[in-house]
Amino acid sequence: MILLILAAAVAPFLISEFYLAILGEALIMSLLALSFNLLFGYMGQLSFGQAAFYGLSGYTVAMLLTRIHFNFWLSLIAGILMASILGLIIGYFCVRLRGIYFSILTLAFGQLLFFVIYKWHDFTGGDDGIQGVFPPDFLKSHIHYYFFVLVVFVLATFVLWRIVNSPFGYTLRSMRENSERTEFLGIPIARYQLMAFVVAAAYAGLAGALWAPFYRSMAPSSLFWIKSGEPVMAAILGGPTLFFGPILGMFIMTFFHAWVLGFTVFWPVVMGALILVIIFFLPGGILGFAEVKLKERKETKKKESG
Amino acid sequence: MFLQTQKITKEFGKLTAVHEVSLEIFKGDVHAIIGPNGAGKSTYFNLITGYHRATSGKVLFKGKEITHWPAYQRCKLGMTRSFQITSIYPKLSVYESVLMGLLSHRKVTPNLFSSAKGYFSEEVWQILEGVGLADQANLSGDSISHGDKKRLELAITLGTEPELLLLDEPTCGMSPDETEGTMIFIKRLAEERGLTILFTEHDMSVVFGIAKRISVLHQGTLIADGKPEEVRANEEVQKVYLGGAA
Repeated sequence: MILLILAAAVAPFLISEFYLAILGEALIMSLLALSFNLLFGYMGQLSFGQAAFYGLSGYTVAMLLTRIHFNFWLSLIAGILMASILGLIIGYFCVRLRGIYFSILTLAFGQLLFFVIYKWHDFTGGDDGIQGVFPPDFLKSHIHYYFFVLVVFVLATFVLWRIVNSPFGYTLRSMRENSERTEFLGIPIARYQLMAFVVAAAYAGLAGALWAPFYRSMAPSSLFWIKSGEPVMAAILGGPTLFFGPILGMFIMTFFHAWVLGFTVFWPVVMGALILVIIFFLPGGILGFAEVKLKERKETKKKESG
Repeated sequence: MFLQTQKITKEFGKLTAVHEVSLEIFKGDVHAIIGPNGAGKSTYFNLITGYHRATSGKVLFKGKEITHWPAYQRCKLGMTRSFQITSIYPKLSVYESVLMGLLSHRKVTPNLFSSAKGYFSEEVWQILEGVGLADQANLSGDSISHGDKKRLELAITLGTEPELLLLDEPTCGMSPDETEGTMIFIKRLAEERGLTILFTEHDMSVVFGIAKRISVLHQGTLIADGKPEEVRANEEVQKVYLGGAA
């Protein structure tokens, strides 16, 4: 883990600016994947609307910075706060539902917000989006902003790691396994699901807040349902049962995307084929597969030595 | 007064599963509710624990009327149940499952940043040793035997440190040997922990040595209630339940 962080820290001096941008994108999108997987991998509910929180936060930051030249740090916080409040509102309705109904409702809310931002041209810029979203001068260079993203990513990942291993995190896991049993141990299920939903919304919001000044613009497509699908695929690709699975998945997707675009625009076809392979041959995702193999090796070693 | 139901009734459409059952359970008792399959035992349990809401009547626990309380609040007041169809956490380890009960009961579940594994390890091990699952602590819930799953669920409920433990057919699916072992274990639990235990059982013969009181349900109605020997001598019970055996 420390090696990976070190690798990410020295990367800017070794790779081209193009791949540095891809690396930054992968880091930011990994936060979105972690947000999704808190709900999916840990709580057992598939949200198809994480882009709403991501996009709302990004738009909040973009509009505050470009329209009223608001303080950069406070803008980021405002973005995360807006995403959390939206999480509280959408979550209030969604946590009453289970399974596919939960997913569909998150999708519906996500699309609703997308259309509001897409159609409200006077306020949001509609399909023009918002351009010229700049971070403060000392973060303007790509390398500086990359380091900023890296630091935030490491801190946020560490905090989420603590959360999933906390009593709260175990409560979510137990609800994923058997929510009835947990309710009959004295846990108000809906309240805990709502808490998790808000935490996840805040993480999606963090990703969006970092994205707007990174990409220097926001477009309504950042709230479209396809964007919500990215963390879903990343989690399946990397392995939703493991904390770092979705991060690995998002890194693979982001770099693979950049590489494939070099010779074909039919990225979705390639991605679809990749997901098919994973689902059929590595149903636990790449990290899930690695975990099983490691366990097998340990056991054979035990048998050999015993 | 510890636990009391007053004329509690549950109707599912036209079917009356439980009809005006008034019963008091005393603190410290091991109390069995028996009756053939379909007698309304499980429904009665569900009314007490909040799985179902009563059509009419009242449930009182520790001096509070809890008839309309949600299940989790009833649990917080001091009652925890097991389910007839064993309800455990398939992919949590045995240790983690028992820990979950303790985390909930000791009100640390809202804690976001401390490590769950750092809590209550002494208590978890004590419970695991008590039920005989200590050597399987690291196995996942779905990988242990049927009998051990039953014991695991019991261990999970003990984690909530209940005053009243409700066990819905704790011997369901067990061999005669396992059944006897479970009954002895239930007796020991009540004695060692000072627990009040209410449990259901369809096989009358297994409860006589264990239960201090027995109540008999038949077609949703309470037909007998008292000490084991009184219940055994009751004519109506013999007629509807024991058949010609007694």
